[in-house]
Amino acid sequence: MDSQLLEEEFVKRVQSGAKIESNDWMPDGYRHLLIKLIHMHAVSEIMGVYPEKEWVPKAPNLRRKLALMAKVQDEMGHGQLLLRIVEDLAAPYGKGREELLDDLVEGKVKFHNVFHMEARTWADAGLIGWLIDGAAIINQASLLSTSYAPYARILKRICAEESFHMQHGENVILSIAMGTDKQRKMLQDSLNYWWYSLLFFFGPLETTPAAQKMLHYRIRTKTNEELRQKFLAKYVPRIWSLGLTIPDPTLHYDSKEERWYYTEPEWKTFQKIVSENKGPKSQERIALRRFAQDQHKWVRLAMTTEV
Amino acid sequence: MEKQTEPSSVYEVFVQRDHLDPMIHVGSLLAPTSELALQLARENFTRREQVLQIWVVPRIHIQSAEEADFHAREMDRSYREVSGYTENGRLWRMFKEKEITLEEIVRYVEQKKQSKNDLHREEGHES
Repeated sequence: MDSQLLEEEFVKRVQSGAKIESNDWMPDGYRHLLIKLIHMHAVSEIMGVYPEKEWVPKAPNLRRKLALMAKVQDEMGHGQLLLRIVEDLAAPYGKGREELLDDLVEGKVKFHNVFHMEARTWADAGLIGWLIDGAAIINQASLLSTSYAPYARILKRICAEESFHMQHGENVILSIAMGTDKQRKMLQDSLNYWWYSLLFFFGPLETTPAAQKMLHYRIRTKTNEELRQKFLAKYVPRIWSLGLTIPDPTLHYDSKEERWYYTEPEWKTFQKIVSENKGPKSQERIALRRFAQDQHKWVRLAMTTEV
Repeated sequence: MEKQTEPSSVYEVFVQRDHLDPMIHVGSLLAPTSELALQLARENFTRREQVLQIWVVPRIHIQSAEEADFHAREMDRSYREVSGYTENGRLWRMFKEKEITLEEIVRYVEQKKQSKNDLHREEGHES
């Protein structure tokens, strides 16, 4: 069968709900998109550790410290699980873990915008756990129906572990919200700082050609905007119930159109943070990551070489 | 035929029933080679059941934890479990909101169309 026919057959299969395994034939385009998506997901899990680990020594009590460390451990674990999937996909190109991790410190793979930002206060640390993790969970839940079975299976596990992250984040936020005026002001300030980063997290409004291709191959089944709408529907009422003000006076729900209207984030500014690693903390965290990678090289060697 | 079972002829059998399921251990069998083990596994374990994949693994290649305290929990770890945060429901009610679970989010995201009532509630106007 020629490749055109194979491709058509493949698309027909995934569009009717078939799942693809790592050893199945797949179009190069499908493989490339998966590598790009899951590689970015994997390194985002790893870089997502940084804003939270910065708060381990400063967390208000031992239980919070333990919970943060447990999250750090989970997220590093998710990074490893996801990298394994990318390794299998990238095997035909002779690309292994070492190179996939090098891509991160060399700026060849992007990571989520929110992990370029600064976790300035304990409220920021809490808000990351509540809303950033909340946004990530909505994104990951939508990927549970992906056509690539190894990714779907790992996401099932990741989502199960995220349920503790979700409760932990809410618990931190609820205790700050019940605190003093100063603490509530800190929480409001945190929401102001993170709001537009959160909106940007789901990606541009328009469906880019790459995103269109992902929908075509059923790697994704929902658009950025559909997911952003779901996030707003679940979280805005809860943010309001805490007595917080969302820093967007235009934000409202149109019950006729059944959609949320909001002020768009400054796409170009945020895009620059992600594509050029020019966020407030991008370079510092990448440098730390590079340091860790160099310092731990002997461990990786010990773990991969037979004695 | 030898009286004792040759350890290298024992194979553990795993089957996968759905693409979203993990491989599940279903039992073991005796076979002289891995090819025959696979044939026997199909006949012994999937005569009626439709499965996607079967794995046979020589038992001698399986490393398992022998010490009883390998899985011991040396301290309370509720801080890393959902059960450690049961007060969230009560706290949310103080703010006139409901607690939210991961399962609820997953169902909500996978849902094709939200019912009018749900949207009304999510809009923040409790009736």
